Amino acid sequence: MGDIVQIYEDYQGRADFLTVYVREAHPTDEWQMKSNVKDDVCYAQPKTLAQRVAIANDFTKRFKFPLPFGIDDMSNAANDAYAAWPERIYIIDESGRIAYRGGMGPFNYKPEEAREWLAARYGAVKHDAPKSPADEAPPRPRPAAPAK
Amino acid sequence: MNRFWRWVAGILGVLFLAAFAVLSFIAGSPKDAYGMVRYALPHMHRGTLKVGSDAPDARIVALDGVSRFHIRERTHERPLVLVFGSFT
Repeated sequence: MGDIVQIYEDYQGRADFLTVYVREAHPTDEWQMKSNVKDDVCYAQPKTLAQRVAIANDFTKRFKFPLPFGIDDMSNAANDAYAAWPERIYIIDESGRIAYRGGMGPFNYKPEEAREWLAARYGAVKHDAPKSPADEAPPRPRPAAPAK
Repeated sequence: MNRFWRWVAGILGVLFLAAFAVLSFIAGSPKDAYGMVRYALPHMHRGTLKVGSDAPDARIVALDGVSRFHIRERTHERPLVLVFGSFT
C-alpha cells in the first residue's frame, strides 16, 4: 500500500488515480489470515453495499489513504470486467485503452511496474536513500584535551 | 480388474495427498491450503484484457455510499492509474 501511495504522491500532477475497493480477500468468514488478526483487520465478507461502504471508509480513515477512492457495487461489475480480485493495477491511457496491465495479486501485484510506466513517460522521481542510523546519530562529544 | 482399480485409486490418493502437501507448504499450512482452494482460486482470473484493449467501463460507488460514477469518466486528458484491492 505504501508503494502505491508514494507513486500517487510522485505522479498525481501527471496522472489521475482511482482506487476501487473490491470484495474482501481474507474475511473472517472465509480464508482469514493470521496477519489480519494481528493487525486487527477483521471483517466478514460484506453481504450488502452498506457493509462494503463501511469497510471502505474504515480503510481510508485508518490509513489516511490519499488516493481517490471508489467501491465496486454488489454485482462486482468492475471486478469482473478487470479480473481485479484480489488486487491488481491497470493504467488506462488518454484514448481509453489499457496501457499497462498488472499481474494478479498478491504474487504478481507489482506497483513498481506501474511506476516504471509512469517514469518512462514523465521521468523518474528520485528519492533520497534513507539515512543509516549512524548518519542520523548526533556527533559524539570529543573528550576534552588533557590539561597541560 | 478389482486389483487394477485399487491401484488406480491408490495412486490417485497419493497424488492428491502430495498435491495438498505442496499446496500447504506454499500457502503456509493445511488450513491455508484449504482456504486457497475453497475461497481464492474460484475468484482468481487472469482476465482477457490486454495492453491496447479498450478499457471496460463499470459503475463505481463513491465513499459516501450514495453517489455513483463511471471509471471511464475519469479517463480524459491524463492516464488513469487504476488500483484494485481490499482491506484484508
